[in-house]
Formats: sequence, C-alpha cells, structure tokens
Amino acid sequence: MSNTFNIFVLMKQVPDQSAKAGINPDGTIDRARAKRMLNPFDRYSLQAALHVKKTYGGKVTAITMGPPAAQEILLEALEHGVDIGYLLSDKRLAASDTLATAYALHKVILHLEKPDLIFCGLQTTDGDTAQVGPQIAERLNLPQVTYCEDFRIENNKVIAKRVVEGGYEWTKIDIPALITVANSYHPLEYKSLRGAKMVQDLLRDENEKSKYIKTVNLDDIGADPIKCGLKGSPTIVARTDKVSEIGGSCKTFQGKPVNEMVSELFKDINISEFVKK
Amino acid sequence: MGEESQKQKEIITPSNKEVIVVCEQEKGEVKPVTIELLGAGRDLANKLQGVLSCILMGHNVGELAKKLIAHGADIVYLADNVELKNYKTLPYRRVVVDFLSSFTLPPHIVLLGSTTTGRDLAPRIAAHFETGLTADCTELDIGPYEHTNKMDPDKVGLYPGCLYAIRPSFGESLKARILGPWKNPQMATVRPGIMLPLQANYNHKGEIRNIPVDLKPEDYRLELIEVVHEINKSVNLTEADVIVSGGFGLGKQEGFSLIKGLADCFQNSAVGASRKVVDIGWIPYQHQVGQTGKTVRPKVYFACGISGAIQHRVGMSKSGLIIAINKDPEAPIFKFAHYGIVGDLYQVIPELINYFKSNSLPVKEKAIA
Repeated sequence: MSNTFNIFVLMKQVPDQSAKAGINPDGTIDRARAKRMLNPFDRYSLQAALHVKKTYGGKVTAITMGPPAAQEILLEALEHGVDIGYLLSDKRLAASDTLATAYALHKVILHLEKPDLIFCGLQTTDGDTAQVGPQIAERLNLPQVTYCEDFRIENNKVIAKRVVEGGYEWTKIDIPALITVANSYHPLEYKSLRGAKMVQDLLRDENEKSKYIKTVNLDDIGADPIKCGLKGSPTIVARTDKVSEIGGSCKTFQGKPVNEMVSELFKDINISEFVKK
Repeated sequence: MGEESQKQKEIITPSNKEVIVVCEQEKGEVKPVTIELLGAGRDLANKLQGVLSCILMGHNVGELAKKLIAHGADIVYLADNVELKNYKTLPYRRVVVDFLSSFTLPPHIVLLGSTTTGRDLAPRIAAHFETGLTADCTELDIGPYEHTNKMDPDKVGLYPGCLYAIRPSFGESLKARILGPWKNPQMATVRPGIMLPLQANYNHKGEIRNIPVDLKPEDYRLELIEVVHEINKSVNLTEADVIVSGGFGLGKQEGFSLIKGLADCFQNSAVGASRKVVDIGWIPYQHQVGQTGKTVRPKVYFACGISGAIQHRVGMSKSGLIIAINKDPEAPIFKFAHYGIVGDLYQVIPELINYFKSNSLPVKEKAIA
C-alpha cells in the first residue's frame, strides 16, 4: 500500500458579496463586475488537503470549473502549496445546476489519476447548497463524510469527526473517499514564500504557467455535453424576488446625549423579561 | 393557430402523484423536522390529489409509524434493520435508492430535512436518479409552469403540478423559485423550524408496509465509532434568547469585555462576533455569526460595531428584535435593524449596562410607593 496519497481539492471562485462592486440594486450579482474571491468555505478544504500532503505525503491537485478568470483561485492554491491546478472551462457549461456541475467535475477526476481523497468545501457562498460534493461521491461510487471538522489517517482509513446537530460523531471510512470540510476545521495557513515566489515567476512566463495550470474543456475530459450546462440541469430558477428589507424601517436615535437616547429606546421596547433579576 | 396552440402544449411528466417524506429519527424519537415536512407534504399531496407517505428507517422503530400517520402520512414504508440504527450515508442511501427504483411510475416529490442528515443523503439520491434537488427551501407549493426557453426546445410546454421549491439566494437578499418539472421525483430539502406541522390526529387512517433492506458489501465502507451529544456547550449561540455581538468597530480585542458585560445583564445570553474579528483572532470561531459561522434567531440581537455586511446579516436577520449600535449612520446595519443608536459604543454600552442594572430596581421602588 502506497503511503503517498493522490489528493484532489475542488474549489470555486465566487463573487465577493461584501464588496459593493457588481451588486445590482435589485440584489442580483453582475458577475462580470463583481469582485472575485475563492469561496470562503474552500479555504478549509484546501487546508485539509495540504495537511494530508504535509503529514502523510502525497500530491494535491486543485480543480475548478468556471470562466478563464477562475484560474486566479488555482494560482492562489499554488501559492499555498498545491502541486497542480485544473480549470474546466467551456461555454457549454453555462447555467449548470448542482447535478450538471457534479457530472462535469467527476469527469475531470476520472480523466486524471485515480483519487485517494477528494476534499470539497462544505458549500459555496453563492449557491449555499452543499450538494455538489455528495453528488460527485455518488457519481464516483465513493463513501463520504460531510461536515468533517477534524480527521486523521490510520491504516489507510480516515478517522473523521463529523459535526451533527447538538454534537458530533466519529466515523471510520475506507479510502478512497470524499470529504466535505466544515468551517470549524483549522483555518488556512499563510501562503508559503516559496509558493508566492513561484506564482510570481509563473505570471511572467506563460509557457511555464501552462505546466502548472491546465485548462481543459468538455471534449478533453470526454464529458457528454447533453449532461452539462442548461441541457444537463434538471432544475431552473424560474423567478427571483427581492426579499423586503428585514425590520422594514429602522428607528434610529442620534445626535443626543447617550443617556437620553438609551432611555428613549426603552420607552419604545421592553426586554426586561430577559434581564437577570 | 400553430404557435398559440403549441405554447399551450401540456406535458405530463410520469408520476404516481405520491409525495414522500424521508423520516429522521434518533434514539426512538422522530425529529421535529420530519413532523414539519409531513405538514408541508400533506398540503402538496392534497393539491396533487395524491397520497403522502413516509420512509421510516431505523432499528426497532416500528412504533414511530403511528406518530407519522397521526401527523398526516397515508402510508409508512418501514425499513427496520440493525444496520439502520444510526444514520449512515451508504446503508440509508441503499434502502432509499432500492425502494424508489421499485416504483413503476416514480413518486412525484421526495422531501428531506435540510439537516446534516438530509443534506448528506438527498444529493446522493438525486444524483443517482439524475433528478433535480433544491436545497434549503423555506416555502413549497404546487403550480403550473410554462417553459418557453427556446435554448432547449425539447422542454418547451406547459407543465401542470410542478413543485415550486422556494429558497433564499445570494445571502437571503433574494428569493428564488426553483423548478424541475421534467423529471420525477422532484426533490427538495427544507429548513427545520419553518414549516407548520399538523396537529396529531390518531384517528387518521394509515397503512404500514415493510420494505426490503438489502445491503451490499460496499455499503459497509463507513463505520460509526461513536456519537457524542454535547450538553453544556459554553457557547450556545443557537439557543440563547439574547445575543450581544461585537464587530470591527470595537477597535480592539479588549472591547469584547464590554460586550460580555452587556451579555451578562441577561439570563440566557451569548456573545457573538462578526467574521472579521474572528479572522483577526480577537475571539474564537465558535462565536462567529453569519454565512460562514452560525445562523441564529434569538429574541433580541445587539449588533455593536458591526457594519451589517451581507455575510453577517444572513446569520442573524431572523432575530426577533435587532438593536444596532454604530457610530456610522450610513452603516448597512441600520437598514435592517429594528432600532439603532448612532454613537460611540464605548459610551452607549456602559449606559445600556447601567440601564439594565438599575432596571431591576424600579419594581422595589414601586413596592415602596
């Protein structure tokens, strides 16, 4: 049994919803103008993948699907110590729902070396579904641990701590496996100087960069276009409505002495039932 | 003629009109989310003029079927096996996949709770049948849908009896109606604590049918070592009546002692925090409220020095009463808080503490008067 693991980490570039740029007045996101970032949940799965490499040995391949700009997050992953990045980019992937996304991503994995461990973020901040990871596990016929908060590897099995409502459970799972990492896992460590330097160099040398960031399309990975994008998605978003501002109008006190504002506030509301007696 | 009548072409996706709820149980108790799903599922089944059923998996759980029937199920499919005692992905997946495959006409709708169990199991079932699944719904309904998108002409037509799976999107600033009428079952996971359960009616007639449990060697690739229930969590954000949260506006880590001081005024309270202050290490992650932290809905939420970015809002906007303290009158928090005080929190919070400390006195004063 080899002791070096073939590790995959799946990641996504998402709009930064805290930045004002690219957020339309109706609340929708103009993805072309929005500030882009690595899905915050993927920072934990990236840490998990790098932890396996560092502690048990192995190679980490980062995979993402998206427009050409999504290679930015692969470069970021390289800075942190990932060995190689794959970007699946194809116009025929537009309007993919989770089922179509999972289909396409599992084809990328099948196109590469057989995985030992696949790490996914718990969910994304732009979709919030937490579905793609388990859907890939189903496609690849792998066991899974979702909401994984901690783990170690013993005798080629993963001993994983899984967060559940009101507590946690410890499970032992065969490798190969897919793991989605909870955000209570260890935060991502800083970029390595060597990684940052390497990416600096790659940015100056397109030829060298192409050795570390591979861009593939549906034909390269042998994916059936019928199962991708709009055609391959069993769900569609039929309508979106803006949710009315919560609380409606805020009653604000300002420009007066603090004690006056506080007593005015408590003329309006009474929360004494919660106050310690 | 042509176009008009083509547009109206009604397409019926094969189904037996059954709505199936996947039950969650633990230690011989049905989880509340299942009872809520039966309430929602009953409404959908009535609108479809179909039946509501429930898959009950576990070990020695047959007794629970009565409760499921009393809360609206017409049929309970019972899978009783020692391997199903606790939830494990692969054995549960096997039972549900085998069972759903046994239908001649597929069920119309399959619902699960949006819990760590439902969110683990539902995507596997949906991927197996290559059918649509909508996560984390807050409303469900049945209605028609007319698909006109010429991008995929095969699907153009009028679909009656679609599941409207309605969920928040983009950090809850939008509500999306998601549909998948071209394939059954249409699936959804539903947030706990939102759907209304039916009153238990033990006169409601229902049927219990045993379904096979036929596990394969590959279903044993995961072993459950232990399940731990934490009773006394030091940070119980999700159950606190009052949460006092601090953000970057505190200016320094020591500011959290003031936050704790305010929280200490209340009986069942907890200290929360924005992501930014957790990221810079002022307070541990367990306190984080928001998209990458906890979702909370206390009776009262104090947001102190928190700007109210969407990530934070997602985690606390359902709070009963939101009181914001911020020195920036333009801070987004004032758009969705119920009450706001514009001012320096180092002056406002001590005044609040002072108010609550002296507030227990008036009762005495009255007694004297």
